[in-house]
Amino acid sequence: MTGRARARGRPPRQAPALAAVGDAPVQQGVPGQLRGRRHPQQPQQPQQLQQLHVPPPQSEEPGGHGRLRGFESVLQERRPEGLQVSSGLQDLSLRDRGGRRRDFHDIGVNTRQAMVHVQESKTGFSGRMIKLTTNHFRLTSRPQWALYQYHVGYSPEMEARRLRSALLFQHEEHIGKTHAFDGSILFLPKKLENKVTELFSRTRNGEDVKITVTLTNELPPTSPTCLQFYNIIFRRLLKMLNLQQIGHNYYNPSDPVSIPNHRLMVWLGFTSSILQYEENIMLCADVSHKVLRGETVLDTMHSLHSQVGEERFRDTCAKELIGLIVLTKYNNRTYRIDDIDWDNNPKGTFRKSDGSEMSFVEYYKKQYNIEISDWMQPVLISQMKRRRGNIQGSVALIPELCSLTGLTDKMRSDFNMMKDLAIHTRLPPEQRQRELGRLLNYIQKDDNVQKELRNWGLSFDYKSVSFTGRVVQGEKIFQSGTMFDYNPQFADWTKETRGVPLIRAVPMDSWLLIYTRRNYDVANTLLQSLFKVTPSMGIRMNKPNMIEVDDRTEAYLRVLQQRVTPDTNIVFCILSSSRKDKYDAIKKYLCTDCPIPSQCVLARTLSKPQTIMTVATKIALQMNCKMGGELWSVEIPLKQVMIVGIDCYHDTVSGRQSIAGFVASLNQTVTRWFSRCVVQSRGQELVDGIKACLQTALRNWSKWNKCLPSRIFVYRDGVGDGQLNTLVNYEVPQFLDCLKSIGTDYSPRLTVIVVKKRVGARFFAEIGGGLRNPPPGTVVDTVVTRPEWYDFFIVSQTVKNGCVAPTHYNVIYDTSQLKPDHVQRLTYKLCHMYYNWSGIIRVPAPCQYAHKLAFLVGQSIHREPNMMLSDRLYYL
Amino acid sequence: MDTNFQEEFTQIIKFEPPLYKQRYQFVKDLVEKYKPKKVADLGCADCSLLWMLKFCSCIEVLAGLDICASVMKEKMHTLSPLPVDYLQPSERSLTVTLHHGSVAHKDPCMLGFDLVTCIELIEHLEESELKKFPEVVFGFMAPSIVVISTPNSEFNPLLSRVMLYRHPDHKFEWNQAQFQSWALDTARCYDYSVEFTGVGHPPTGMEKVGFCTQIGVFVRKYPQTGESVQSEKPTEAVYKTVFKAVYPSLKDEKYLQNAVISEVIFTAQIIKHRLMSKREEYGDDPERRSKLQPSMDCFSDYLGKLVVEKNMEPFVSGNEVYIPLATIFSVPKVNRLCGTFEKLCKLIAGKVTLSSDGSAVMFNIEHENEEN
Repeated sequence: MTGRARARGRPPRQAPALAAVGDAPVQQGVPGQLRGRRHPQQPQQPQQLQQLHVPPPQSEEPGGHGRLRGFESVLQERRPEGLQVSSGLQDLSLRDRGGRRRDFHDIGVNTRQAMVHVQESKTGFSGRMIKLTTNHFRLTSRPQWALYQYHVGYSPEMEARRLRSALLFQHEEHIGKTHAFDGSILFLPKKLENKVTELFSRTRNGEDVKITVTLTNELPPTSPTCLQFYNIIFRRLLKMLNLQQIGHNYYNPSDPVSIPNHRLMVWLGFTSSILQYEENIMLCADVSHKVLRGETVLDTMHSLHSQVGEERFRDTCAKELIGLIVLTKYNNRTYRIDDIDWDNNPKGTFRKSDGSEMSFVEYYKKQYNIEISDWMQPVLISQMKRRRGNIQGSVALIPELCSLTGLTDKMRSDFNMMKDLAIHTRLPPEQRQRELGRLLNYIQKDDNVQKELRNWGLSFDYKSVSFTGRVVQGEKIFQSGTMFDYNPQFADWTKETRGVPLIRAVPMDSWLLIYTRRNYDVANTLLQSLFKVTPSMGIRMNKPNMIEVDDRTEAYLRVLQQRVTPDTNIVFCILSSSRKDKYDAIKKYLCTDCPIPSQCVLARTLSKPQTIMTVATKIALQMNCKMGGELWSVEIPLKQVMIVGIDCYHDTVSGRQSIAGFVASLNQTVTRWFSRCVVQSRGQELVDGIKACLQTALRNWSKWNKCLPSRIFVYRDGVGDGQLNTLVNYEVPQFLDCLKSIGTDYSPRLTVIVVKKRVGARFFAEIGGGLRNPPPGTVVDTVVTRPEWYDFFIVSQTVKNGCVAPTHYNVIYDTSQLKPDHVQRLTYKLCHMYYNWSGIIRVPAPCQYAHKLAFLVGQSIHREPNMMLSDRLYYL
Repeated sequence: MDTNFQEEFTQIIKFEPPLYKQRYQFVKDLVEKYKPKKVADLGCADCSLLWMLKFCSCIEVLAGLDICASVMKEKMHTLSPLPVDYLQPSERSLTVTLHHGSVAHKDPCMLGFDLVTCIELIEHLEESELKKFPEVVFGFMAPSIVVISTPNSEFNPLLSRVMLYRHPDHKFEWNQAQFQSWALDTARCYDYSVEFTGVGHPPTGMEKVGFCTQIGVFVRKYPQTGESVQSEKPTEAVYKTVFKAVYPSLKDEKYLQNAVISEVIFTAQIIKHRLMSKREEYGDDPERRSKLQPSMDCFSDYLGKLVVEKNMEPFVSGNEVYIPLATIFSVPKVNRLCGTFEKLCKLIAGKVTLSSDGSAVMFNIEHENEEN
């Protein structure tokens, strides 16, 4: 869930690309011009860089992932548009869709070299051994394999890339059938006879051209350029297998799973990346599912209209659609919906590159023979990012011609839909490996693919890598003098904690219970249940102030304004519907203007007699945490340690704010947390705010402990692919700066760990001849980790169905002098400390708290909550 | 002609839109006019004409032929179906095939086409190939219409940078008289009529030069006498198929069935949802429940004009909701897809849970919303 908000906040993967040859992009002038059409008096601004385009006609320009830094600098010589790969693959280009991209796998970042204590070994030792398999496959190349890099020069200079390749490939007898060429750099699997080869070609116009091919580099299999190259070749192979590229991955369109109840279709596909791992270069492949919708954006708009009516129609559309990725009917691109232009429609015109105006209706008729049937629909706007040069522009899309992909937040919250989907997407380990085996089988069986691999001198080990991991022992849970173990198989202690008093129970002397007339019975049932469950927890509870309100936001707010006093411990609101505005208003008021913890619960949740006791128990625990209570603890052997968690939330719909949630432990047992958050608008750097957070956190820690912490652990979540470099070079120095600013004699030991939930690696335990999910506490720090990092995986949670996803931890800075084993153990311990779940979770508790905080602020509050609440878990 | 004048012109002549686009547009217009179902492009090169033609909704079979396989492969993936073609299969069927071979050879895969286009092809043919060309195209393939375009050499002096021919691979470039005489001979020989036209207008005052690209449109005079003609020609396959894409289509039972099931269940879900939310809203109050029926009216906005008859009303019985198939069938989209009620029943048989008599879609609502 955490990943989603973040994922949506990312910049769109594809920048709409350059027009294909022979089809100049139809360019619209500035938005001013767009409007200028309607208001001709408005002067045009020639300097403006905003351009509106109609999507280019030709289908994709395929390619691999973002470039490596080293590779890019090599290629920058002449802005390459694509690197062609040969022998039946001429259509394939090394340039990625959407152009330049950051270093997707953070390949160039070597953090381990600076940490002396893990130079020799970064592996832990505790726990029992477990036999694991993974979804990694070794890439092998023949002995003495090398990739030969040539520079290709033309005299006279030739501009067009296509012409350059056509001229070069007139000499296939010299350079061979297997080659990759981007217009100036040529890769060959073999060495040419001479270091410099001169070739002569003739153009269509009869012009003679001299081509000079010069050897510039002999690349060993492990060089970054080669890694990049393997990835591209592999994606070509997927394409040769007739898989369809959608976004990053390749999917099989011929055998879709259709879920007609929700008009969804699921395509099975694969993610792949080839990287240098601890000892080998390996392919990490995983099964991926693409959820597609069998309806157009216009269909969706129609059904929204019938659901919400005219009044809320536009708002609802914006909320539902903005941020979604669409496919079009006429090309093979994906676009992100960034805006909806309600003032425009298909009859609207745009300016073509030749300066003439054309309507969308005409354009699509002429270009694709597509008749737009609804002329009243609005126009979708997709921003182009990182276009070549400085030009920033946008693409206009017609809803009728676009199909939605992926799920909306609303769909994700639809329990039934997710349940129906999970049947198809949550593959248990055996099945997952079987599907993966099918892909490898295709690769193995396809002659063309094999030929291509052979020509490059590459092959795969078709059996996945096996190795040994460790399962560290379970933690003991402490709760007010009692101590218990949990069943390691379920990683859950709900049963064990029942009837045991909490570490710190906050009394509910004065509290409000607000409900609507319809929910009077529900409120009473709840109250009775709370009275039943709280005594054994040690919570002293008085009768609340029961207040009946009208089911309107203003009514709730008025009651809050009138009835909340400084003595109020907590406000409990029973809401009759999941309408977000009411919830937002209550939270906003009680988190900022009037800082009192609050608990909102849907009436429906409380309406089932058979579950009310369980629900009441959970609510009582949650409220206790919100008021500053403590539930349980695990043993933390380190003294004077402060633990920090950071996560981000990116708001894609309104205002495009990003919010960083920051939490820091306050006490030795790591049961109390200080929190702050940073609200930043677009383009602002997050770091400065985090520095301030760290400062106040330290101040608070010293207030609580009468000294400063001697160790600080930062668990940093919310780091996107390719941002590692920024973190290492910018954020970590800021942390150090901040510590320095506290005092000259203050130099605590600092450890910064990047936490990543979205990783491609999957582990399977080989148990009884079959594959199972590895048990919680499984640690992997060999074979599939990266040699240049101090990193490890932990499987901490359990899943009921599907495959468990390991969490990746990358220690990017560490002066703790702790053994890797201890860092791993501490991390695992912290996964036990999230109070909203009596079990082990996927990330350390501080990350999850930071996420909850950022999410609440980003979704409902939109500004920093009142500091009065900062020592309580009010955001749970 | 004054040389200076001519030189001046060489600087100016530039076609807008570019000439190649005008040629493609010409073919597209022809397709719009004659609505051929099967179209072959000889000398299809990088498939850009084929790519344009795949959007023409009348075409069901599209074939390309070229002597150079690598130039075809360069962009052949643009002819593959798009994800959306799978998501919303079209009514028409479409198969695109690319063949590697020569127009001087006969291959049965080229039989039965309605339109054959040879855009800027013949000038690339060696003399021996050109000799065989009419027999292959007009005699063997014998489509209803053939379009042949070729450069008009009379126009060349007006183009800058043209040395001998417009392209080094051209084996010849004909003037208007040469092309027309060849075309007329060919047409006569194979019983076609031919009309001449072109694209790329000459500058004013120089109309005598003719179009930059000259085009002959050949129309077969008599309809094909039937299969017998073709079966008389014993030929074996000599072309190599380099690409084949079959587009998903509702003509294919598999896609039709998926589409129908999807539409039926989706429609039924909407009706059920409406029914349930009304029930929830009005509770068990029978007086208010009676308001349930008129509500169908606003609902029918979405589903089109529903004939609400007594036996078509959805109803709840115990833990089950029943939505009569007749109601679902009256939804325009379902109706259009299936055509007949029998077809609807046949397509969803075994795929959708029906009531015991098979007259209604049935949902169990017992376990719904449980964990919400």
